[in-house]
Amino acid sequence: MTNRVKLRLSAALVAAAVPMVAAVPALAAKQLHGVFHIGSGSYIRMGTPKGGFFPNPYSKDSNKSYTLIASGVGGGVRTGVEQRAPSPAFDSHGNSRANSIITPTNFTGILFGVVTTAPPSFYLSGDKLTAHIRHWYAEWNKQTFLQGAIASGTYNSRTHHYVLSWHTKVHGGPFDGYTGYWRLSGTFSPT
Amino acid sequence: MAARGQKRWPLAVLAVIGIGLILAPVAFGMFSKAPDGASMMTSFSPFMTRHRLDGFQADMRYIGNAVTQGQRAIHDTDGTPAGARTVAHVAPQFHAFARQWVAVNSDMGGMLVKIKANLPNYQAVAAMPSFRLFPWFFVIPGAILLLLAGAGLIRRGAWRALRWVAIVLGVGLILAPVGFQMFSRAPKGAQMMTTFKTIETLHHLRRIQGYFSEMAGGQGVVQLQLLPALRHADLSAAQIHARYPALGALDANWVHILNDMTPMIAAMSNNIGNYQAISSLPSFRLFPWFFVLPGLLVIVIALVGGARRGRGAADPGRRNVFNPVNQGVT
Repeated sequence: MTNRVKLRLSAALVAAAVPMVAAVPALAAKQLHGVFHIGSGSYIRMGTPKGGFFPNPYSKDSNKSYTLIASGVGGGVRTGVEQRAPSPAFDSHGNSRANSIITPTNFTGILFGVVTTAPPSFYLSGDKLTAHIRHWYAEWNKQTFLQGAIASGTYNSRTHHYVLSWHTKVHGGPFDGYTGYWRLSGTFSPT
Repeated sequence: MAARGQKRWPLAVLAVIGIGLILAPVAFGMFSKAPDGASMMTSFSPFMTRHRLDGFQADMRYIGNAVTQGQRAIHDTDGTPAGARTVAHVAPQFHAFARQWVAVNSDMGGMLVKIKANLPNYQAVAAMPSFRLFPWFFVIPGAILLLLAGAGLIRRGAWRALRWVAIVLGVGLILAPVGFQMFSRAPKGAQMMTTFKTIETLHHLRRIQGYFSEMAGGQGVVQLQLLPALRHADLSAAQIHARYPALGALDANWVHILNDMTPMIAAMSNNIGNYQAISSLPSFRLFPWFFVLPGLLVIVIALVGGARRGRGAADPGRRNVFNPVNQGVT
């Protein structure tokens, strides 16, 4: 076997092995079905393009850069289900009417809500929780902001307590260049 | 093939002009940039009305008046025992906002004045045909010229007739900018683009976003801290309303201000790329001349290229006409 053939074989083995290794956690991960309730310790912070955070005067937290959020009438994030905005999505003042995932929350004087436009999926590997919530949108002042991502966190199978966090940069619109830092914390109710 | 003796140079020059017209929008990147310009004009259209621009200035006045009266309210009450207990705690935050407001009002207020002054310029550009059509204003005459030149080269003796078509096309090219009032509108467009040069930048957007954050924070101080503090300083709601009406007016109009301002900031943000695309095209001032000069050239070529050089020289086709003398018939 020439060196060149050996080299090609090695490359082929590596090429085949990399996706397999990457797939191992996914294969080992267990998909969770149920509702992730959004409880205390859940928030969104808006990081400004220049650094620092946007202070929301209407935040219930003493640190106004944290806007606290809590489950809406749908109980929180439902796996495998889209939780879309009602029609119309906003009232005449621009307050979001999307109240399934979170209770519409005051941001600078106008309520924002959260919707998903594709079913989110959650995977557990050990105590590591991964959430595919790419189609997570914040709705505020008659505008929609894509805030989805693959979130990661932890889940305690005994207490059902979970924590998830992620951040997503806003592209375009009045908050172009801002980054939404999300943290969801609460309990999971399996179905 | 062209008839023997027929002048080929006018056809060749027409072909070159035609190719030039076809290639000009490609060279300037018009096919991608012109639609960006059209998008920008469409995005700005809801805001570029006198009513809407007056509304933005009124929004700024609501905030400015609240700053002035808030400072006065603090001055009036923080000397009283009740005021010292309540209003004095709010004063540092409010004064910080009042300081920020000076810069916000100067920059954003100045921007609104500039935009308002450019309203007639925007309207002049908006009255022109859509930017999307601009590349085709070059390509279509260019293609016609190329076809004329091609037909002249292929068809014997066709030039005499074709040159009149070329003249008509040349006149059309000259009249197009006149018809679209480009000579008056294009310089206004250039003026608008110059004004927007300092507005439609990422740097400026970031400043405006910062101002928005400061205004939102300031409104929060008025609504959530100053007004409750005044109420706790032994002032009734009626007294506050009578003495400092601008504080309540800001609160009452705040949602409207947000409804107004955030879409404007969104339009600014979403059109930075579009503005840059359109501003990288040649100056608007030159656009009428991009039609007039080729038009003049085509007319001159058609006239000069069709002129008789001497008796019998103008119509080479006549040489093929049966002539009994030439054919030896007596």
